[in-house]
Amino acid sequence: MTPPDNSRRKKPMNSEPFHVRFKNVQKSYDGLTLVVKDLNLDIGKGEFVTMLGPSGSGKTTCLMMLAGFESATHGEIVLNGRPINNIPPHKRGIGMVFQNYALFPHMTVAENLSFPLAVRKMPKDKISQKVGQALEMVQMGEFGDRYPAQLSGGQQQRIALARALVFDPELVLMDEPLGALDKQLREQMQFEIKHIHQQLGVTMVYVTHDQSEALTMSDRIAVFNDGIIQQLASPDDLYERPENRFVAQFIGENNELGGTVDAIDGDIARVTLDNGDKVSALAVNIEGAGARTMLSIRPERVIIDPDESRVPQAIGGLVKELIYLGDHIRCRMTVAGNDEFIVKVPNAPGNRRLKVGEKIRIGWITEDCRALDAA
Amino acid sequence: MAAVSRKEWAVVGTQAGMLGILYIFLYLPIFFIIFVSFVDNTVWPFPPEWTLKWYQRLTIMSDFHEGFKNSFLLGLGTACISTFFAGIAAIGLLKYRTRWRGVLAVIYLSPLFVAGLLIGISTLMFNRNILGLHGTLTSAILANSTQAMAFAFLVILAQLARYDWRMDEAAMVFGARPLRTFWEVTLPTIWPSVFGAFLISFILAFNNLEISFYNLGAIPTLPTIAWGTLRHGIEPELYALASVINFLVFFILIILFFLIRLGFVRLGYREQ
Repeated sequence: MTPPDNSRRKKPMNSEPFHVRFKNVQKSYDGLTLVVKDLNLDIGKGEFVTMLGPSGSGKTTCLMMLAGFESATHGEIVLNGRPINNIPPHKRGIGMVFQNYALFPHMTVAENLSFPLAVRKMPKDKISQKVGQALEMVQMGEFGDRYPAQLSGGQQQRIALARALVFDPELVLMDEPLGALDKQLREQMQFEIKHIHQQLGVTMVYVTHDQSEALTMSDRIAVFNDGIIQQLASPDDLYERPENRFVAQFIGENNELGGTVDAIDGDIARVTLDNGDKVSALAVNIEGAGARTMLSIRPERVIIDPDESRVPQAIGGLVKELIYLGDHIRCRMTVAGNDEFIVKVPNAPGNRRLKVGEKIRIGWITEDCRALDAA
Repeated sequence: MAAVSRKEWAVVGTQAGMLGILYIFLYLPIFFIIFVSFVDNTVWPFPPEWTLKWYQRLTIMSDFHEGFKNSFLLGLGTACISTFFAGIAAIGLLKYRTRWRGVLAVIYLSPLFVAGLLIGISTLMFNRNILGLHGTLTSAILANSTQAMAFAFLVILAQLARYDWRMDEAAMVFGARPLRTFWEVTLPTIWPSVFGAFLISFILAFNNLEISFYNLGAIPTLPTIAWGTLRHGIEPELYALASVINFLVFFILIILFFLIRLGFVRLGYREQ
């Protein structure tokens, strides 16, 4: 049997800048509909890439193709410069954390961790040393003799993580590993996984539908919808510069205003909103003059009573509801026919108190309002 | 315990009475046979005159020894074949999703709906007329397996349906080949059901008359000996024989019970 991690020895032979490459990958289960449509994605060595998307968006299918449980209908998946389409999962040398941990119930924690090492025919003393180290890394040193059923969900999660890392894989896949944990534990584990990633420098591909998880942990996020990567970018780019309506809506909170493009002037689009108000926005994803567009503005980027010299145009809004949240006040208002328009007003000195039913002027810096597709 | 009204006592009492009657109905004939096998006056055994002579006669009957050996081999062979193929069928059916699943399951289970007698006769006809084979222990084992496989399949399928196949994927991603995955991860988790299927198919074939009878030729097994004695008038040795068979089956069940009680066998996969 060839040891699965001999890919490491072959590494000097190729100087590819990427660790994993999806090249024109398509996947169909029934031969009729494509679950994954033409996926292209390069993942660098040591990078933490998250595949984020709603269920059915194709993200898990992509992970399963990378792990080897699903085969690509079309296209190529390359690992360390080698196409792996025809390499079975047990020869890929990839570590993986599964959704419900998939710990072996009939084995103790230590036996679970030894499994990847024993399969690789590592000597016994070396195995117990490595298992000990891996358990220490996830702060589970004393739990080696327990069975998975005797552990809490969070502890099982740590063991699953340790098992995925114990044989020093260069690539670790995670399939919604924190989905079953409560909120507090989930946030704690996010930081732990992030720290372990920084410490070990392994490449991690993480699948989740939780956008805050993705923003917290990733170097880059691939937002999936409908079998296509909608946008691949760093967390701040994704939040501040969404390239289409889906991403703007999926990541963070977003206000939408529908309108028609009057003219495009360089980067700036002049838009007439549905109620006749005229505003300007950054032209991002629009076809041209006359086309429908959805403007996207983050709630914290809306300026109340704007200084007309800083802001091109101000439009009117009617305050419908105020929620006091301490550090900021969440204000729901009607703007250009949209009565779910949210503005976060910082609780800062000099900001005036709003009242329900009040008519106010709002505006924004042109760059903060992005003219996106209306699809 | 809270005060229980007279009406509730009446309900509980009736239910207990019904249950008691049901058990008596089920077990009285079996216990009667055991009782009669220990008495001398078998025709009207009251008051009983205790004796062990039927058992002594059984030990010197050579065709009984032969029958016991053949029954045991028949059970063992059927159990091995049935468990093996039923296991493969159940795994294949659950692991590889196809829209033909329902049809495949029904085809596999259909021997359950065919009378044993028909399986016996039709196997005999096929073997003799088409294949030109004589009845042997092997052909009886194969004929019994058709029915026992369906039972074994049900037993294994019931547990395997709750099996988390992600554990197999985990084993494979961590470097285990498919066969090693099966031995070290799948089988240790599902083996109680495999063992159960083995026992059930063993007992089915061990006790079977109507399939075995047509396919054994002149080879005796315990049920065919019992059947044979019946035709020449019931002899008291038959009671002893029936009791021995029952003891054996109960013995296996008791062993199984203690294995479960002591935790050597876990029925059902413990979910996390």
